[in-house]
Amino acid sequence: MPNLLVELGVEDLPAQEAGLLAEAFRAAWVEGLRQARIAHGEVRLYWTLRRLAVLILDVADKQADLVEEVRGPTVAQGLDPAGQPTPAAQGFLRRYGASPEQLVRKKVGEKEYLFLRAETPGRPTPELVSDILGQVFRSLPCSKRMVWDDSGLAFLRPVRWIVCLWGSKALPVQLGQVRGGRETQGHRFLKPGPVTLDTGEAYVDALRAAYVLVDPEERAAAIRQAITSGEREHGVQAALDPELWARMVGSVEWPVGVLGQIPRESLQLPPPVVVAALHEEGKFLPFLRGKEIAPQFLGIAEGVGGSTVRAGYERVVSIRLRDAASFFEQDRSHRLAERVPHLKMIVQEARLGTVWDRVERIRAYSRALARALGLDEAILDRAAYLCKADLATVMVREFPELEGVMGGVYARLDGEPPAVAQAVEEHVLPTARGDELPQSPYGGALSLADKLDFVAGSIRIGEMPTGSRDPYGVRRRAAAVVRLVLEKRMRVDLFALLEAMDGLYPPAVPGATVQDVRQFLVDRLRGALVERGLTHDVVEAVLSPPRGDFLGVWERGQALSGMRGGEELVSLAVGLSRVRNITREHPGRSYDPRLFEEEAERQLFQAYQAVKASAHKAVERHDFGEALRLLLTLRPAIDRYFDEVLVMCEDGAVRANRLSFLGEISDCFLEVADLGKLVLSSKGEQGS
Amino acid sequence: MKRFQDLVLGLHDYWRGQGCALVDPYDVEKGAGTFNPATFFGVLGPRPWRVAYVEPSRRPADGRYGENPIRFGKHHQYQVILKPPPAEIQDLYLQSLEEVGIELRSHDVKFSHDDWESPTLGAWGVGWQVWLDALEITQFTYFQQMGGVDLNPVAVELTYGLERIAMVLQGKESALDLVWADGVHYRDIWQEKERQFSIYHFEQASVDRARAMFDLAEAEAKACLGAGLVFPAYDHTLRCSHLFNTLDARGALATAERESYIARVRALARQCAELYSASLEHDAQSPR
Repeated sequence: MPNLLVELGVEDLPAQEAGLLAEAFRAAWVEGLRQARIAHGEVRLYWTLRRLAVLILDVADKQADLVEEVRGPTVAQGLDPAGQPTPAAQGFLRRYGASPEQLVRKKVGEKEYLFLRAETPGRPTPELVSDILGQVFRSLPCSKRMVWDDSGLAFLRPVRWIVCLWGSKALPVQLGQVRGGRETQGHRFLKPGPVTLDTGEAYVDALRAAYVLVDPEERAAAIRQAITSGEREHGVQAALDPELWARMVGSVEWPVGVLGQIPRESLQLPPPVVVAALHEEGKFLPFLRGKEIAPQFLGIAEGVGGSTVRAGYERVVSIRLRDAASFFEQDRSHRLAERVPHLKMIVQEARLGTVWDRVERIRAYSRALARALGLDEAILDRAAYLCKADLATVMVREFPELEGVMGGVYARLDGEPPAVAQAVEEHVLPTARGDELPQSPYGGALSLADKLDFVAGSIRIGEMPTGSRDPYGVRRRAAAVVRLVLEKRMRVDLFALLEAMDGLYPPAVPGATVQDVRQFLVDRLRGALVERGLTHDVVEAVLSPPRGDFLGVWERGQALSGMRGGEELVSLAVGLSRVRNITREHPGRSYDPRLFEEEAERQLFQAYQAVKASAHKAVERHDFGEALRLLLTLRPAIDRYFDEVLVMCEDGAVRANRLSFLGEISDCFLEVADLGKLVLSSKGEQGS
Repeated sequence: MKRFQDLVLGLHDYWRGQGCALVDPYDVEKGAGTFNPATFFGVLGPRPWRVAYVEPSRRPADGRYGENPIRFGKHHQYQVILKPPPAEIQDLYLQSLEEVGIELRSHDVKFSHDDWESPTLGAWGVGWQVWLDALEITQFTYFQQMGGVDLNPVAVELTYGLERIAMVLQGKESALDLVWADGVHYRDIWQEKERQFSIYHFEQASVDRARAMFDLAEAEAKACLGAGLVFPAYDHTLRCSHLFNTLDARGALATAERESYIARVRALARQCAELYSASLEHDAQSPR
């Protein structure tokens, strides 16, 4: 069976989007062929920024015949009492060119219908390719669509040529004003002009001979080799991130590595500035020697290396780094602290005031956090005051990804206390790019204050993320709140904190309250706990009731998980469910042990008295394992209680007394978790 | 060696050969060649249009007191409009670089994704920055909309950064060192002006008077629009745009206020585009 090659020649696609678009191109062909009932073998994908191509192996000559049952009128409408077709059924038969003998009766639901088996013979594949191409083309997802002529086509970039080869035959396909053929294009500069293909199988080799590596793996290998040879030659390590890598693979058809030198004086700049300047727009790859910036950088050129390119690269790098040096100098003409008042001029989200207003809110959160976490309030407040000041610097205006980093650099140079500078630097972590958390306690607390303000503010102005839509990154920051609390072990009641800070915000939009903020964070916590390996029922048990001490919730979950599988817990949970159910409607908690009548009551009372205080203490010092162990000792007494005591007895006073007592026991357990939420089937016990 | 003026003449020569009308810079301050009426009005409507010109472009905030090698408060763009764009437009553009003396075979040339947008003109398009050995030398844009009006047909705008291309051709590290004409350097003509305008825009300009002038120009533009005088209205719109740039460079605008100034200029630009488009419907031979 022949192979089918389809190549779409386009003007230069965005380097980051080309690869994604290519994957969509492949998927669309697979789907298009499936819908057209055309069998095929492997689908090979090739792409560069100037072309998207699939080579589909062993494509069936024709589509599969289509056999379908079509439904006609009901039997009652379609056949007269003599069993002969009525006009309705005759019309149905005519439409499919069938005779009455071919009618079949079938029941659908309550009614019986007349059916025909309609067979559509498959058409030859070459006749269908043009339509499939059109369908594929229209289905491709583009970040933005443009028009370039009056054909009505809209795409990410103009389409300029099409290759469509069926075996060795060119198929007459067309998109807008572009007709398909067997001519592709060579490298724009190294082999300009058409390259004629005899068959699809010749595609990769023919283009390689024309200085185009259509296989992204070949380009990646060439780039990797350029990087490695630079690393070996100079004893340095590439500072490569995935985004830069994708851009490099996407931005050239014939990669040529060009190593350049950074001017010596520019190496004095803070390393993050040099990295940012080189990374800018995906232009260059920096190298590190240890923690220092190495004096080399690498660019991936389109087909041409050599001294001219190298000199050009070095000029661009030198100019940009000189720019950076002048930004640095300008910024250093004032202390960072002097930039803070300028934040009154900067608005990121108008509904929440200026950045100055945001800093004031962060300071309020920070003060509360300093008290809760036992941190030096003056240090944290100074860091909070300075944390956004770098938004008013030229460097951060030019290199937005240096937010926080520059604040830290400038604070250090200003002689701010090291803990302040580090907290300023770390307060942006974790960023959208990385998942690194702050190292220092002050950085952690400031980051938490920053994220809480962001989440609370966004939700109050109605920017609650929905589904996959989260343009402001609210969900990302809420997830950061949970990570900070759990991983930096911050003991703080977030509910109380949010409640206390609620007055800082402008009136909420209808439907958005501090409750929504709480709920949003609890939902993130729920997800985080499951990700950390807690089973769903344990998570529900420790989140009932919801607690603002997220760290405590996590610790309770770990304690509870540690005990799962034990017989004790199973039967205790059963007993406690009864306690919970029976006391649910009973708010009273005061009781008189002298009114107890049964031995079982007194026994449970004694057992409870024996552990009550120490269980409380264990909860207070967050030793939930110990608290659970103590409470577990109540199990026999609880079991016996329910065997022997009729709680809902006739005597109202005795009944109320019993309910109050049990209510207190229930409350005591709830300080750890609602054990009634545990899934207790033996299967659940072992399987989860 | 190619002098700066030879570069201009080379581009003129090439684009004249491609059927472009060569026109002059427009005599009102503006931030980019796109603001020239030959582009703003030229891309509207159905008639084919090819035009090329040099445009001194003033961006007060980019001023560096004449001390930066490539940043200036006023730089020179070479602007080409091709409506509708020919299918071989990328090759035509590359050919123009060869014509002015850039040997493409020895450089790294990339069309790097960069979609262009002018919030003040209500205009956007998609395209690239063209990188020559990683230096941005041209903005290459398929305009899709101008003054809020969808373009049909679309037009291609090529905006060459003349200083940067001249730096490559002359092998200079700083535009100030460029040879403009025999015995005349770029710095001789422009450096003192750069210094003075930087002082003016960053330190001297009266914020109150700039605001007042903005208000006056806006009122004048509106009055002209009311009288059906689209071209005078557009001149005043350009003045508003430049005064906004002045206020912005002066650091006088908080973010929210900035947005509102941009919206005011955009509203004027949109009304100019709409009034002009309406006139095209009445008279297919309307002036550009």
